[in-house]
Amino acid sequence: MSNSNRFIERSIMGALSFLKEAIYADEYASRKGFLQGLDPRIKAVTFILFLTQILLTKSVIVLLFLYALCLLLAKISRIDLWFFLKRTWVFIPLFTLFVAIPSLFSAFSPGEALITFKIFGINFIITRQGFQGAVLFVARVITSVSFAVLLSITTRHFQLLKVLRIFKIPQVFVMVIGMCYRYIYLFVEIIENTYRAVKSRAGASIHYKKGQSIAAWNIAYLWARSYQLNEEVYNAMLSRGYSGEPVVSDDFKAKAKDWLWLFCVSLMFIAAAAYL
Amino acid sequence: MDNIIFELKNVSFSYLGKYPALRGIDMAIKKGQKAAVIGANGTGKSTLLEVLDGLIFPDSGTVKTFGEELTESALADKDFLRNFRSKVGFVFQNSDVQLFCPTVKEDILFGPLQLGLSPKEANARLEALMEIIDIRVLLDRPPHHLSMGEKKKAAILSSLAIEPEVLILDEPTAGLDPATVRQIIDAVIDANSFGKTIITATHDLHIVEEIADIVYVFGSDRRICRYGDAAEILKDTEFLKANNLVHIHSHRHKEQIHIHSHSHIEHHVP
Repeated sequence: MSNSNRFIERSIMGALSFLKEAIYADEYASRKGFLQGLDPRIKAVTFILFLTQILLTKSVIVLLFLYALCLLLAKISRIDLWFFLKRTWVFIPLFTLFVAIPSLFSAFSPGEALITFKIFGINFIITRQGFQGAVLFVARVITSVSFAVLLSITTRHFQLLKVLRIFKIPQVFVMVIGMCYRYIYLFVEIIENTYRAVKSRAGASIHYKKGQSIAAWNIAYLWARSYQLNEEVYNAMLSRGYSGEPVVSDDFKAKAKDWLWLFCVSLMFIAAAAYL
Repeated sequence: MDNIIFELKNVSFSYLGKYPALRGIDMAIKKGQKAAVIGANGTGKSTLLEVLDGLIFPDSGTVKTFGEELTESALADKDFLRNFRSKVGFVFQNSDVQLFCPTVKEDILFGPLQLGLSPKEANARLEALMEIIDIRVLLDRPPHHLSMGEKKKAAILSSLAIEPEVLILDEPTAGLDPATVRQIIDAVIDANSFGKTIITATHDLHIVEEIADIVYVFGSDRRICRYGDAAEILKDTEFLKANNLVHIHSHRHKEQIHIHSHSHIEHHVP
């Protein structure tokens, strides 16, 4: 098999496995852990409090405390820590560090010199202020991403969508997001089956030009299929009485432990605000 | 006359105005009747069902439902729309189209809630439906996690949830295993025993005798080429063969090659 083919195969399989991992993550949301047992609305509100705290604080100690709390919450929610760390650390070092690196230097963050070195005769100075700023920035991103991921993997996606409604997001919008999520899987299946069908008929090696034309044709087919599906789904909605304004039931019930959790997090938020 | 649920007179429909799908269809479906629309692929069965459900409208001819004309402008009236939608349930051929909500439970509740039922009433209906086909274990699952048979059951329940007087089913048993087919046929027969009118499009002749008293046969010219008593039509092997509904079946029994037409009736001959 040529390298270009392997690239296409790796890309397709990578995208599909990412989506399948999302299905796998739904399995965590159905486990009987601490966060899974909370009312999704209360959980979302408390996580927003955590995120606000992370954004407001200028103390790395507070951020580290919040990150440790996040890991503890993941542990008592029966999340595999290795899976959680992989999920939260994959992109953060890449993107955040690229953004943070320039701020280390005196050109962007003037101040007390911490490390000085020369490259091609140019003097580079890493300042204490720059270093502290970069550490704070990276810690802030890691902690907020970790909380966001923790919320998403301990809450079933349809519950998360319902939670959006408490922020007065129109039902139509929430429904459209839900349908997008729902139908992505259908298209993943189509892509997977098409890829297998091509592989079974064409064998292991396809000339890259042929491969390109198959890929282009399939993109066009998927577009046509999605257009057709859009019409069919709309008909299915009409058939069951939809007339432009969706109505859905809200079966959330907050219990004593939800209110207690909200109280504790609010108290922590107020205490941290007072401390800062 | 009051007994007639759907009355079609000289109905024709074409896609994009140039690909004919129905030609001069006359039909009258009575209350409580079990009707089957049979025909080879591409003869217009699904198009007819969409016309009956008010999803598409004929180019010419008239469609009457419950004594009133079914037109786009009639459906624009909110009372007419609610009344019609609460009386007619449609099970789509492709269950993926019908199950568009994040969970099976929401899909089943969707119809009743749109038609103005309170969440409590809608949940009571859901519980009652579980007595017909018990899919309690699937209720919180997303539809894309279900097997084809499970999806079909959920789709049928989502249509039954509106407690329609008429249940329209498009190829309800296509591609399903025998046990699921049996469960679906039983649910349909059960619904009919409670007075619901059943209209099924299929080319699976094995189920026609059970789910239909009257059969409309569509020919390749997209016209009804024959209609009448289900048993009578199913016996007419030559006619079914001419309309691509049965084929010559050849297989080996021990040392003998056995050739016969592959129709439903032969399976009942001792």
